[in-house]
Amino acid sequence: MSITVIKGGGTLYERASTSFFKRVLPWFGILPFVIFVGIFLIWPSVSVFRSALQSVDGAEKPAILEAISGQYLKSILFSVRLSAITALIGMIIGTLVALAIVSLDQMRGLRNWMVGYSAVAANLGGIPLAFAFIASLGMQGLYTKILSVFGINLSAMGFKISDFSGIVLVYLYFQIPLMTLLMLPAIDGLKVTLREAAANLGASQRQYWTNIGLPLLTPSLLGGFLLLFANAFSAYATAFALSSGGTRLVSVQIRFYLQGNTITGKSNLGYALAAWMIIVMTLAMSGYLLLRRVSEKWQR
Amino acid sequence: MTKRNSWAKITLLLIGAFYALPMLAMARFSFQRMPVVKLGWSTLLDGWTIAPMVDAVTSARFLQASWLSLRLALLTVIISLAILVPTTVYVHVRLIKARAFIEFLSILPYVVPPIALVVGISGAMRSTVPGFLSNPFSLTPFYVIISLPFSFRSLDVGLSSIELKTLVEASRSLGAGWVRTVRSVILPNLRVGVINASFLTFAVVLGEFTIASLLLKFTLPAYMAEAQGNNPQGSFTVGLLLLVVSASLLGVVNRVTRKRGQEVQAIFL
Amino acid sequence: MKRSECLLNAMTKQHRVTKKIKIALGLAVAGLLIGACGSSSSSTETTVAEETSAVATSTDCPSTEIVDAAKAEGKVNLITLPDTWANYKGILASYRDKYGIENPVANPDGSSADELTAVETLAGQPDMPDAVDVSPAFAQEFDAKGLWEPYKPCAWDEIPTSLKDADGKWVAAYYGLMAIGANTTVVTEAPTSFAELKDAKYKGLVSLNGDPRESGAAFAAVMAASIANGGSFDDILPGIKFFAELKKSGNLSASDVTPASVIAGETPIVLDWTYNYPGLAPTLAENNITFKVSVPTDGVYGGFYAQGVVKNSPHQNASKLWIDHLISDEGALGYIVGGAIPARFDALVAAGKVSEEMMTNLPAPELIKDIKFPTADQVAKAKEILTAQWGPLVADK
Repeated sequence: MSITVIKGGGTLYERASTSFFKRVLPWFGILPFVIFVGIFLIWPSVSVFRSALQSVDGAEKPAILEAISGQYLKSILFSVRLSAITALIGMIIGTLVALAIVSLDQMRGLRNWMVGYSAVAANLGGIPLAFAFIASLGMQGLYTKILSVFGINLSAMGFKISDFSGIVLVYLYFQIPLMTLLMLPAIDGLKVTLREAAANLGASQRQYWTNIGLPLLTPSLLGGFLLLFANAFSAYATAFALSSGGTRLVSVQIRFYLQGNTITGKSNLGYALAAWMIIVMTLAMSGYLLLRRVSEKWQR
Repeated sequence: MTKRNSWAKITLLLIGAFYALPMLAMARFSFQRMPVVKLGWSTLLDGWTIAPMVDAVTSARFLQASWLSLRLALLTVIISLAILVPTTVYVHVRLIKARAFIEFLSILPYVVPPIALVVGISGAMRSTVPGFLSNPFSLTPFYVIISLPFSFRSLDVGLSSIELKTLVEASRSLGAGWVRTVRSVILPNLRVGVINASFLTFAVVLGEFTIASLLLKFTLPAYMAEAQGNNPQGSFTVGLLLLVVSASLLGVVNRVTRKRGQEVQAIFL
Repeated sequence: MKRSECLLNAMTKQHRVTKKIKIALGLAVAGLLIGACGSSSSSTETTVAEETSAVATSTDCPSTEIVDAAKAEGKVNLITLPDTWANYKGILASYRDKYGIENPVANPDGSSADELTAVETLAGQPDMPDAVDVSPAFAQEFDAKGLWEPYKPCAWDEIPTSLKDADGKWVAAYYGLMAIGANTTVVTEAPTSFAELKDAKYKGLVSLNGDPRESGAAFAAVMAASIANGGSFDDILPGIKFFAELKKSGNLSASDVTPASVIAGETPIVLDWTYNYPGLAPTLAENNITFKVSVPTDGVYGGFYAQGVVKNSPHQNASKLWIDHLISDEGALGYIVGGAIPARFDALVAAGKVSEEMMTNLPAPELIKDIKFPTADQVAKAKEILTAQWGPLVADK
């Protein structure tokens, strides 16, 4: 901040206005981004809340309150549960895969193949993915049949691809590659010299990881978890195509009210459910930011 | 080191199997006209045919849909990068406080349902730019938004892993002008992030269905959905082809562009 | 109109009617009618209906003004008409062949709500849908929003009252019955009633075509089950409880029904409209799968879809001609081939235009006679109960 010597009155005012100007001006740099997002994302989100605050079919309470009661609350919690589980497992396995890829860097072509496939797999979903698993492990699945030849009867063991565990398995198909892709640059950033330095100082593999590796990776791990959570939370096509159990998800139920064939006049309820989804994500995001601030202290 | 390598190899083998097996089962369904209930040692080699794939791939509808999707994907990547790269670089160099805010904005597309996006925007559009939504490329801003979580995250992670602010300050204090700094310091270190962002955006656009169907645009996923009715096996073969071709293409691009990035990173160790 | 409702299969009660025969039949009939229609515009005005040899009466022919105006427009924007749904493939083709007007179909697997969204989103644009085909509930929505352009097709008088809107806002060009379809390659004994579905041998094999809160076919299945279990159009709860029981015993499968899942044998027993089965016949045949369709003996439920012209759409005349076409003989016979009962069925049968062969995809004539439709109020009430109870009783268990 420049030191301004001002004669007479108005010193404080002028200094304050200079620093204010300097503080605000940098924010103009992100204006194009904010405008674009404002039009195409914020505005529709605001409309969602506007509809959510109205009532459904002339009932007294606004839709947003109705959407948090009874069976709707259950579906929101169910969605949160599914998303958290798949995000956690996806985070762990995805990071391990990324580590494996980086450590086998010298194998030519491997990393390129994995990156290429992961990018595509991370966006798979809906009917093709669901059907791939049905064709594998469904009642008439190829591997179900092969396993039964070896005496392993999946349905007798209580496994059905349309159960909760089946949905988790299918979700992992796109969660793991997404995490892998997100972690690769972060692991790349774990400079080799740090590891060598640690080894020189006598640190074991485990000590390196607990004191240097993990702390450095934590912000990316948390960010990845958040993204995976959001990814699973918003997904509907895959669960919908896989199993009627998918109708327990909030994202699927929104379709009943906004994109169905039978229910009419309840679109405010659909928007209210969407509003709650936004609220849940905001909470998750806040939690993540808090955790990251704590972990970033480690880095410095 | 060999112990670590063998662990890594086993991990990759397992994950490879997990990725490949479901797709193989789908491929068997698509190329062999034999219900599993009738499948046995004697019928193992019966009913194999590529007819569904040929029908699907040679149809005019498929070609029309693919062409639109391809152009949409490219356009989305370009616009996405044009908006995001300057923004993320600027934030990392100059305005790190804004990062949390932008991060929140980048997660938001996940939870606004596509129908809300379409309905919310169409009202505003109709009064200002009426013909906009009829244009097939009107999908682009929507696609930029829905790929935002991936593209922002990729660029952000790439930039976070290097201390960009320090590097820029060092470069400036050594006398380099902004242009030189951008060219020699910032851009090379963006490479991995930009590549990842582009890949993911590309894949997102090729896989997006809801918005395209609501706005009645005939993209590749729309074709695949349409084909489910009269040629489901053909539809799946298109999906498999897309998988293999995209993955290979992205792998090749990664190979060609990554090498240089890696070297640059080593220099800045 | 029917996203996840697109289903398959064809195997009818008796025999496989191959695709070729059906197309040939369709074309033959179309050919006959085209020939007859062209010449009857002036003479049949005074002809009495006793002449059964007259293939087309004047009421089948749209007025020449409409035809010319439509041809001038050259195109009609259609939406959510899957090829395999009630033989829309054939009906679309016969329209194109007869009038030379393009009729592209956008978003074939969309839902009725998607149609409404498209009409509102693309209002005033050249690709705004001109005509829609929606469930009765959404026909009301369109009405409430003032989106219908009333138009009475030229065969208006021959359409039963229950299948049209009094003011001409929409018509129900076709209807069908809820039927049980069984993949007999996987399931050796096909069930023929709702009661049979409870049998332990069908464990994990019975599937609804979607969730009734979203899918019209699934909703109809629950209504039909209700009738079979002591309920009525006013009372859908027995139907919900029936499916709750099926789920508890493990008979109700959670797998989603798609053409692929039926071919794969993952969903061997399906509940869907009679007109959704013939569409997938060819693909099933190619995969060596035999299929049987039966209307459940204990729960007969009929349902229709409503078609109409969209207000202020870009191609008004071509759209009106499309509605005329659906009601006309070509349209009606196209529907019959697809397993749907056309609105003017009785008139056509009386005029001897429907042959035995064509009827193979249709339910038995006795059943057709007895079809009654629920009123809009009954449907609305049923949906209220469904929305409140399906989740807690069935889906969330």
